[in-house]
Amino acid sequence: MNNFAYVRPNDIDSALNLIRTRPKARFLAGGTNLLDLWKMGVEQPETVIDISRLGLTDIAPRPDGTGLRIGALARNSDLAEHSLVLNQYPILSRALLAGASPQLRNAATVGGNLMQRTRCPYFYDPAFPSCNKRKPGSGCGALNGYNRMHAILGQSDECIATNPSDMSVALAVLDAQIRVLGPGGERVIPISEFHRLPGDRPELDTTLQPNELITAVDLPPMADTKHAVYLKVRDRSLYAFALVSVAAALTIENGSIASARIALGGVAHKPWRVPAAEILIKGVSPDHAAFDMVADRLLQGAHAYRYNQYKLALARKSVIRALSVAAAST
Amino acid sequence: MAQSPAVLGTPRQRVDGKLTVTGTAVYASDFKVDGMAYGCLIQSTIASGTVVEIDQSEAEKAPGVIAILTRQNAPKLQALPEELTGNGEPGESRLPFQDDQVFFQGQHLGAVIAETFEQAREAAALVRVRYQPGELRTDLLGLADQAIEPRMWAGRTKLQDKRGDVDWVWANMPQVRLVDETYSTPIENHNPIEPGAALAVWDGTDHLMLHVSTRGVDLTQKVVAAAFGLPIENVRIVCPFIGGHFGSKGFSWSYFLVAVAAARIVNRPVRLVLSRPQMFDSMGQRARTIQTIGLAADENGKLAALKHSTLTHSSMIYQYTEPCGSLTRSVYSCPNVQINHRLVQLDFTTPCPMRAPGEAPGFFALESAMDELAVKLNIDPIEFRMRNYADKDEFDQRPWSSKHLKECYDRGAAKIGWSSRNPKPGSTKDPDGRLVGLGMATAVYPARQQPAAAKVILSKDGSIVVQSATHESGTGTYTMMTQFVADSLGVSMDRVRSELGDTQFPPAPVNGGSVLTASVGPAVVAACTALRDKLISLAVDGPSAALSGQAKTDIVITDGRISSAKDTSKSISFSDLLTNTGNQTLEAEGSAKPGDAYQKLAFFSFGAIFVEVKVDPDLGEVRVTRVVGVYDVGKVLNPLLARSQMLGGITFGIGMALMEGTIPDMATGRMVNANLAEYHVPVSTDVPPDFVVEFLDMPDTNMADNGARGLGEIGIVGAPAAIANAVYHATGKRIRDLPITPDKLV
Ligand SMILES: Cc1cc2nc3c(=O)[nH]c(=O)nc-3n(C[C@H](O)[C@H](O)[C@H](O)COP(=O)(O)OP(=O)(O)OC[C@H]3O[C@@H](n4cnc5c(N)ncnc54)[C@H](O)[C@@H]3O)c2cc1C
Repeated sequence: MNNFAYVRPNDIDSALNLIRTRPKARFLAGGTNLLDLWKMGVEQPETVIDISRLGLTDIAPRPDGTGLRIGALARNSDLAEHSLVLNQYPILSRALLAGASPQLRNAATVGGNLMQRTRCPYFYDPAFPSCNKRKPGSGCGALNGYNRMHAILGQSDECIATNPSDMSVALAVLDAQIRVLGPGGERVIPISEFHRLPGDRPELDTTLQPNELITAVDLPPMADTKHAVYLKVRDRSLYAFALVSVAAALTIENGSIASARIALGGVAHKPWRVPAAEILIKGVSPDHAAFDMVADRLLQGAHAYRYNQYKLALARKSVIRALSVAAAST
Repeated sequence: MAQSPAVLGTPRQRVDGKLTVTGTAVYASDFKVDGMAYGCLIQSTIASGTVVEIDQSEAEKAPGVIAILTRQNAPKLQALPEELTGNGEPGESRLPFQDDQVFFQGQHLGAVIAETFEQAREAAALVRVRYQPGELRTDLLGLADQAIEPRMWAGRTKLQDKRGDVDWVWANMPQVRLVDETYSTPIENHNPIEPGAALAVWDGTDHLMLHVSTRGVDLTQKVVAAAFGLPIENVRIVCPFIGGHFGSKGFSWSYFLVAVAAARIVNRPVRLVLSRPQMFDSMGQRARTIQTIGLAADENGKLAALKHSTLTHSSMIYQYTEPCGSLTRSVYSCPNVQINHRLVQLDFTTPCPMRAPGEAPGFFALESAMDELAVKLNIDPIEFRMRNYADKDEFDQRPWSSKHLKECYDRGAAKIGWSSRNPKPGSTKDPDGRLVGLGMATAVYPARQQPAAAKVILSKDGSIVVQSATHESGTGTYTMMTQFVADSLGVSMDRVRSELGDTQFPPAPVNGGSVLTASVGPAVVAACTALRDKLISLAVDGPSAALSGQAKTDIVITDGRISSAKDTSKSISFSDLLTNTGNQTLEAEGSAKPGDAYQKLAFFSFGAIFVEVKVDPDLGEVRVTRVVGVYDVGKVLNPLLARSQMLGGITFGIGMALMEGTIPDMATGRMVNANLAEYHVPVSTDVPPDFVVEFLDMPDTNMADNGARGLGEIGIVGAPAAIANAVYHATGKRIRDLPITPDKLV
């Protein structure tokens, strides 16, 4: 762990000023990901900007009184247990509680969770020589290496890493809006555009600019909370990253599907949502045939490697299971 | 012996429980001394090749750095004698700093010594090592043709052996068979909570004090003295507590030799603590095993032939063989048995014993195969085992010291509800849609007594200290010794204090192999008997003695008093006796070693483990929902601690069955999951609330005086197979490659 400067600004303007002017600066929120990567030598910030004094912890309806605005520094545990979340967005609570451990969730924040980096071992351990995400141009160690946890959708030969977040998968079906502040003022990034696919720039996980600060996450109201589930398949009962996860939110009217939103986790560099698949089952009755069709479309173009072949079948079965449970919930 | 309320055989809480849970127990990394500096290892990042250059120019300039230890400035270490490095002995044949060769990822090339741990770590990260990479050997199967056939494990267990003629039976007799089915287990790491830690303190250049996390102070003393060319009595090793070891802390691992060398070159005490990732390359592992089992039985299910072959690996610098087949010769009655072990040396770190070495992976294979053949024969798995019940140890034709395995099967079967099990795979479904399976397996583990000694010291205030150079690793050694003293001398447990883990105490075996209770217990009893004799002499002998004139045979000792059974008015407390006779303390030593019975009889513990699993038919997630383990371990000296050991052992088995595995990257030989986020051990929700452990509690009268055989490892034996068999019963899928993760079932 290199020597570094530690600063703790009291307001957002100072924080933005610091991130703009200090070389190799990083925001520190809960620290559960940044410190880990730092100790491994993946991150080597010269200035650490502790943002814990910025407030940004509120969880309340948006200014227009609808939906929800979640401060970027709200803790994962507080968010998961918040009454507005439990009542209006239970799927978000379930996704959060499916992640990490209670101790980690007590420290982790919403902004940090959105920004958490892949668990790909070739990225995480600098003693591995090849990782285009860590060292652009060095190759991908996972492509022909141990790729059991890796992507089957939207990957490139440059990078087959997955995004490990559970929360982000739920946010994807909730059509969350990420509010950020930067040198050019405020902008709002739809969750679908927040994380990116690796392409030939795998070092970029998100579209957040280096000098921008996430301030909040907005959620539009959720019409049907009943028919929504978060399913996570993992190697042990708790405290393990997803092999595959599914967030599924249906609205069901008069026995048929009025709308469907489905996102997959653990399969791609970002939560995997395919609007074209969701439209396929609009207006049809929620049965196995319909779910099969969605799964086909969601997984179109999927490609697996030596150790993650199982994900093709597991992702399909998980989608069908999640939709079946969502449809059957009363 | 004792007239006071029994302390042996009754549930007693850990005497060190409060210290442990309040964080006041002192572990190796808790010791502090003035002037202490901190070391951080410099490790190789290739698995094979040579070091061309270690560039420390950046590191030297880093703040707080005192020195950088490498081969260039390391003290020359002496080669360990053969007795410390032979197969199964505690030392790698190669010591650190001997040459520029690299044999595995993470090999110790040196250490940075700095004023703080953080400074040492940062400087170590600035050291640049240039290598000439060599050819990489990581492919066990691909290199199988280069395997050697090691003769012995730990100098006592034959690794190539047969009885009868398996080949002839196989070739000539029509049988129901299981034809050479392959079972495999991955590399596993012990992962005790406490990492390896050392604090080396030199006194001049020829006296050394080493606080180190070891389960054998005496062994560590020999290794350190030999490596540094010191007279053995000049080296003191202290380790009062170990935060678990599961086998990993008995070896002469390089890290503490590096700490001693570092302290030498900076002339200051040096503390060196391993990080969690370093626990995957610096303190051993269980090697991967690929086992093949062939079984043949007649239509009635009587075994005719049994073959068990193991292919496994060691490092390039040591030949350790995971002895998977060692008990295969003893478990069942079968006239023709053949076991074989083949070893390939790979560019991975050195393996060593890990909880139930050999038995844990070996019984996964054997007991899975037995289940498979029972299915083929259409015989109930318990019945199949009963038809092949061994009435003696057929390996060497010795009678069992005592064996009640049948009772274990019967009780376990009744407890789990075996009789209502529909044997058809996939026949039972939960209302929530999950498939339910019941599986079982036999568990066997050798029982041994080893030579041990102990000392008891009675003080004038009536308190008693008992000492022995073995260890508390969380298993209850302190409590066990306290119980023995309280029982032998008729005092209450709170008058007794146990001391362990110091080379200045009387010699005792390492904490391992489930031998401690059976070995140290009798030594403590012997020491107490010697102390009694001294007390009685003081009380009776001579005209002015308190109980002068009483016959020694009439003397009874209870509640810290020496009294005459004949004349109850004649009685004196320990304290008064010591005061009156002008003694501050009274000491006695005792020792015990295995008797003749060990030549004549076969000593084993037995058990039967039953589990219920529920399996998601689509998603492949397996949960263990019920466990029943019934064990015959001789007399149970402390049911509370014994049960804890079994809970831990079986939970270890759940981990082995469902989630554990250290995974190498084949292109670099580096482990991809060397951390506790990705190396999965069971969490609380993986352990079923419905968890029954029972002991038959039948004393083994052939064991030394207490009739206890020891336990600790038998819990993991059989558990993985019982789970795999239950998964088969639930789903019809036979998973022969551990761990049973969802990908293998979808
Ligand atoms: C052992 C382990 C297991 C885990 N298991 C899971 C799991 O199963 N599922 C899961 O989803 N997650 C899991 N996690 C990850 C965990 O959820 C993340 O570490 C956590 O959410 C990160 O939040 P943080 O506040 O601690 O981020 P930090 O570590 O503080 O920050 C992470 C990154 O985000 C940046 N950042 C933080 N806040 C902002 C902001 N407001 N604006 C701009 N940039 C910002 C930081 O600069 C840093 O680069 C696990 C983590 C560990 C260590």
